[in-house]
Amino acid sequence: MTAARARVRSALATLVLAVPCTLLLYGFLAAESEGKVALVLAGATLAAALGWRTGLLGWAVRASGQGGLALGFALSGLALVAAFHEDPFVLLLLARALIALVACLGLHVQLADAGVPNFAGAAFFGVGGYTAAVLGKGALPHAVVLLACGALAAAVGSVLLLPLLRTRGHYAALITIAFGLLFRTFFEVNESLGGPQGLKLGGLEVLGFHFNDDRHVLGLEWSGYAFYALAALALALAALSLVRRLERSWLGLALDAVRLDETAAACFGVEVARWKIGAFTLGNALIGVAGGLSAMMVGFIAPNNFTFQESLVLVSILLLGGLGNLAGLAVATLIVVCLPEKLQPIQEYRYLLFSVLVVLVLVLRPAGLVRRTARRSFGSAAA
Amino acid sequence: MKRRAALLLRLACFLVLVAIPASAKETVKLAFIGPLTGGNSAIGLGGRNSADLAVKLRNADPTAKYQYELVVLDDECKPDTGVQVATKAAADRTIIAGVTHYCSVVAMATVDTFHRLALPTIVWGAVLPDITYGHSYKEIHRVNGTMVNQNETAAKLMLAQGFRRWVVIHDTTDYGKGHNKYFTQFVTAGGGQVLGTFGVTADQQDFTAELTQAKARNPEVIFFGGLTPIGVRIRAQMDKLGLAAQFQGTSGIVSDDFIKGLGPLAEGVVAFREGGPAEKLPGGKFFLEKYAEQKYANSPEAYGPFAFAAASLLMDTIEKVGPDRKKVLSALGEVKGKDSIVGTITFDDHGQNTVAAITAYVVQDGKWVVWQDSEYASGRRKLKGR
Repeated sequence: MTAARARVRSALATLVLAVPCTLLLYGFLAAESEGKVALVLAGATLAAALGWRTGLLGWAVRASGQGGLALGFALSGLALVAAFHEDPFVLLLLARALIALVACLGLHVQLADAGVPNFAGAAFFGVGGYTAAVLGKGALPHAVVLLACGALAAAVGSVLLLPLLRTRGHYAALITIAFGLLFRTFFEVNESLGGPQGLKLGGLEVLGFHFNDDRHVLGLEWSGYAFYALAALALALAALSLVRRLERSWLGLALDAVRLDETAAACFGVEVARWKIGAFTLGNALIGVAGGLSAMMVGFIAPNNFTFQESLVLVSILLLGGLGNLAGLAVATLIVVCLPEKLQPIQEYRYLLFSVLVVLVLVLRPAGLVRRTARRSFGSAAA
Repeated sequence: MKRRAALLLRLACFLVLVAIPASAKETVKLAFIGPLTGGNSAIGLGGRNSADLAVKLRNADPTAKYQYELVVLDDECKPDTGVQVATKAAADRTIIAGVTHYCSVVAMATVDTFHRLALPTIVWGAVLPDITYGHSYKEIHRVNGTMVNQNETAAKLMLAQGFRRWVVIHDTTDYGKGHNKYFTQFVTAGGGQVLGTFGVTADQQDFTAELTQAKARNPEVIFFGGLTPIGVRIRAQMDKLGLAAQFQGTSGIVSDDFIKGLGPLAEGVVAFREGGPAEKLPGGKFFLEKYAEQKYANSPEAYGPFAFAAASLLMDTIEKVGPDRKKVLSALGEVKGKDSIVGTITFDDHGQNTVAAITAYVVQDGKWVVWQDSEYASGRRKLKGR
């Protein structure tokens, strides 16, 4: 097969994958009533099942290749932002889902790659948020502030390294839970950081471009949240390709070894502690950056946004999507972030229904929506 | 096959019923935002039902020019969810105005959103002064009074009962801190003494440490500034520790859940709330009767009447000027001396209702009874230590 033909095939496969996904997402985000939401969800399930049975889905994923998948994700995101350019609510929802995806990718590196549990995801998200609140007021450019959010979350996480390395499994999980609770109490009693009432933030500003303002571009009225959604999309894309590259490289192999059998990994000369530290720190950095962007977008942070419950939600996204599968992770993030919002019409019963849905998925698919795929061996050029 | 046919038939009937419009009037949408899930959901649901009642009554009125629809959104008492639903309501151009927020922390977070997207709103429950006074936005109004008026009345009444020594326990949100500040200010000015002040977090479970220290100072009254969930815990743990002081609360505990959570221990608890007592005001009795008729699963709670009043005021305004956000906004700015079920409403420059009556309540036989009507005021029963 010539290179040109391979490229055409890849582009075609990307289209086959991206167009139905984008349409379904559009339908999901635009759906106002519970009936329409149910219809779109049913449609998505049907499409996925059909694609799976006919083998079309598998072919499209394989033929697209890594570059094609990333391109499809980006195009799909751009199309959605453009389609909802005037609707701040949908854009806010979309941006929140993308930001949650970045945070979950951080957790993914920790839990699904290195096997280090982290039940304080919301706390690290909060560290990022508070960093953005404090540094954002200063003279630092906001792009640097976002990086600082990640750096600080990673630094705060390093406090946990020693106890985490000395424990495993439930005990390690318990340490992170304790940290999450501590974090919240710390911010509730800390008056200089707003206390329980929280802090107000100014919006994101990069090179004189204020993300908060609505503006006129390309003959259309764009809501301010469109720019946040684009920033979140760029961040998510960067995080996705970072994590994917990490997993496919020899680094990923070493992490797999550490997760699957520490003793065996150590016998083969893999330094378990070093890999765990690396994964935990990288994960926290991703969560921190996501937290920083989220705080700037929402414009307000308070400790009760970063409760243990929120940490559980992040972990449940991982489990719901299928531990170790990025596609499943993306779908689960969208469901967990957007579905409770879409269920607003049923008011006080929405969390009930939402919980039932999550339990149903886990009963029907105990390993999550999509299973972890086996690592491809050498020589499969298409992948 | 038969079953499927029956199902189809039923579906068809349903669709036909849905498709028939209720009337030919133009439909106008109002938003209601409050905590429908989580720890403060009882008050949120009470407010939701009350606003819903206002809309239903208006829709039943043949002289009304428009058909109204209430869009209900849950803010979970969390700022980020609050901003999200506020954006949803404000971005929807078919929504003309909103009845918004019980939790002060959420109300503070969404002020900018409503201003940016120009949705006229009336706060129905949050009491933090800064929600109306912390900015100069025209979009935010409030029918209930602030904690300043509430604590002035509270201090006067309790001092008149002869109490002199207080210990203050407050949650560390601005709600609790504000109550601490204003109550301490008014009570010390009136000759009372505050022997100790303890801040507690809003989800704290165990108050033994604070209550033991409080007990050592031998106060006559424990003043609590905070919401129902921890109010219940503190009152119950006072009993366990044998702290026999009078318990005095703020608007945050005037809920049926407080009495349900405590049972007989709630007896004699005193609390204060902005607004006149619904039972006594013109239309208040009417409200309670109509509310009972609808058979809602929850009671209107303390702030239901405010949600009702806010929704009614918005609909009155829309009837007058038409369903247009800008016109509604300017008309709301001129509201003066308007009668409602919570007393007269007059908005100042900041949209704050300045005619805010304060009502004192005491728990008597498992009910919040207006102080003046209670057996405690008439002298047949005594507050603790009197």
